[in-house]
Amino acid sequence: MRSSIRSALGLAAVAVVVAPTAACGSGDDAASSPRPTAATGEVVFWSSLSNMDLVAQAFNDSQDDIDVVHETVPSGADGYAKLSTAIGAGNAPDVATIEYFALPEFVTSDRLTPLDDYVAEETLNQFNEVSTSLVQLGGNTWALPYDAPPMMVWYRQDLLDAAGVDVPTTWEEFEKAGQAVHDATGSYLASFNANESSWFAGLAWQNGSQWFDAGEDSWTVGIDDDASQEVAALWQRMLDAGTVKAVPSFTDEWTADMVEGRAAGVIGASWSANSIYSRVKDAGQEGKWIAAELPSWGGDIAPLYGGSTYAVPRTSDNPAAAAKFIEFLTTDPRAIEARGDSGSAYLAAFGLTEVAQEAYTTSDFFGNDIWAVFEDAADGTSNDWQWGPNFGITTSAMQEVLTDVGAGEELTDDLSSVQERTVDGLERSGLSIE
Amino acid sequence: MTLIKPAARRRSRAPHRDPGGGGKVAALFLTPFFALFLLTMIAPVIYSLCLSFFATKKSGLGFGSTPEVRFVGIENFVVVLSSESFLTGFVRVAIYALLYLPTMIGSALILALLLDTAAVLFRRAFQLLLFLPHAVPGVIAALIWVYLYTPGVSPLVRTLESGGMSVNFFSAELVLPAMVNIAVWEWTGFNVIILFTALQALPREVMEAARVDGAGPFRTALSIKVPLIAPALGISLLFTSIGSLQLFTEPSILATASSAVTSTYVPNMWAYDAAFNRLDLNQAAAASIIVAAVAGVASYLITRINTKGVRA
Repeated sequence: MRSSIRSALGLAAVAVVVAPTAACGSGDDAASSPRPTAATGEVVFWSSLSNMDLVAQAFNDSQDDIDVVHETVPSGADGYAKLSTAIGAGNAPDVATIEYFALPEFVTSDRLTPLDDYVAEETLNQFNEVSTSLVQLGGNTWALPYDAPPMMVWYRQDLLDAAGVDVPTTWEEFEKAGQAVHDATGSYLASFNANESSWFAGLAWQNGSQWFDAGEDSWTVGIDDDASQEVAALWQRMLDAGTVKAVPSFTDEWTADMVEGRAAGVIGASWSANSIYSRVKDAGQEGKWIAAELPSWGGDIAPLYGGSTYAVPRTSDNPAAAAKFIEFLTTDPRAIEARGDSGSAYLAAFGLTEVAQEAYTTSDFFGNDIWAVFEDAADGTSNDWQWGPNFGITTSAMQEVLTDVGAGEELTDDLSSVQERTVDGLERSGLSIE
Repeated sequence: MTLIKPAARRRSRAPHRDPGGGGKVAALFLTPFFALFLLTMIAPVIYSLCLSFFATKKSGLGFGSTPEVRFVGIENFVVVLSSESFLTGFVRVAIYALLYLPTMIGSALILALLLDTAAVLFRRAFQLLLFLPHAVPGVIAALIWVYLYTPGVSPLVRTLESGGMSVNFFSAELVLPAMVNIAVWEWTGFNVIILFTALQALPREVMEAARVDGAGPFRTALSIKVPLIAPALGISLLFTSIGSLQLFTEPSILATASSAVTSTYVPNMWAYDAAFNRLDLNQAAAASIIVAAVAGVASYLITRINTKGVRA
């Protein structure tokens, strides 16, 4: 009896152990399974954006061949954790939402299907230059861009007035205005958001920095280049002077500062309109917030902050239909209409932002014409900015070194440390770094 | 079913085995446990161990080429152990444990001893009140405390400020003690119950003898009760130490509010970040194995010290 129990348990143990071990070290075979070339069938769509279920519905109503099933997933890091795990496990969706900065990471880890065979050249011509350049990597198109939110500043006009300053047009003026506003009102002209690596990256991008540059066959990493160091030095001066506050964005503390008027400005993007409105709509600040372009360093580079793309995981067995839906999502005015009022989206495809503007009902909350400012803020060159082949490494490194911002550490030293950790991590993963 | 004679019952104190039926019954009851144990514990450990000896190597720019999965021996372990942030994580856990263990076990012991001497009526009420925080799930507890720590929002911070004390619980220096505070709040009640139960089980004759010998309540508590409940204290210490090594919930929640808490703050978070942020499952596996090994060694040492202490 005993021995039979033992052998049964032993057998179970072997079965349990062998299954995962067999998978260990070998890739899955999803890529070799046959794929239908006709764009028909079911497409599972993961999105964390609001009202995307309505867009899927509109697409289903517009044709009969493809049936899109919408599933809501968490945004940010949790969403990527879910997506990368699902791709590894083979139960990923057919269409996934990936932000620009995370796209190369998914490409270099071989988690996506290139869209070149499924998307026509004319479709690609419908997007603005900066967004196209960010979805084309190594000669392939890996995703279609949804929005292209220009990085910009939102100010409390009344607090600027109280300090007797105009909207700053250069960073030098911004620094002076920060001092004036702080002296007059005690408020901070901006917060320094150490939690968002892509936020600081955007500021460096504007000054002409190239954090990552894909050459012929190796990467150049320039996180601590002169342009970035100039930006870091400016923020260090403002932190030392106490005119900007080091606080992670989207936290309760950050929100409270806005609601109670301790924040005279927010460095965000076009989508911040919704983010600000939802936080301060009951705080009696109607008409006090205005949109403005980023202060200038002298060039005309227009960086993006945030922005999503739609990609097809390599495990999808229906990429043709998935690509059809992505095309609808990113280029069809009906997709934007269907989404309704879902924030101040500045879209990558030409001609669609007007549709979004039409649907956005809270423009009046702001003290100026925010959509005109979006146009101005987006008008500039992209400077061939590229996100790194594994920006997660840079993000972790930035969080690790920026723990004590504004209280004794030097941002310029921090950047060198982030550079070092990024190069180290990328080299370890086998990529060639110059 | 047959009736058991009284004589037979008396004899059953001796090792007794029912020939035939016992094994089957035992197997029936043990199978679910072993099946789940294998599936959810042993198999993942072996899978992680296997993962930890491989690495996914990209090449060139990394675009359009399938990364190569290669056997790399102990390279992942070397990389993880030479990572400054991983090691700093262990230092943080050590500081956390140094602050947490004495504070929590100390206050649990004091409260248990107080309960042991208190009137029966209050005893019940206090037991319940002390245990209540533990009924709050860890994530919720952390969220509540994050609210209480947040400047500009927290009534606690505001009260301190109006009293002339400006405290930033999210600063690099205070965030670790702030975490300890959450854990103390959450776990003291639970450990009070363990220690109190042990105290209740102590033979009353011994207490009586102590009283007859002229020992006051303090003397009785320190010289009689505490040594007698040493095994229970040991269990508390063991669970709490392993719990400290597994520190994840509190820092993960605090990371959303304070930039002093990084995504790699403690070893467990380091492993999570490696797996899902840096997309390197192999390094994450190696890190997890290291954490498990350290936990294993630590529990062995604590059990050893414990049994020695009891024997002495």
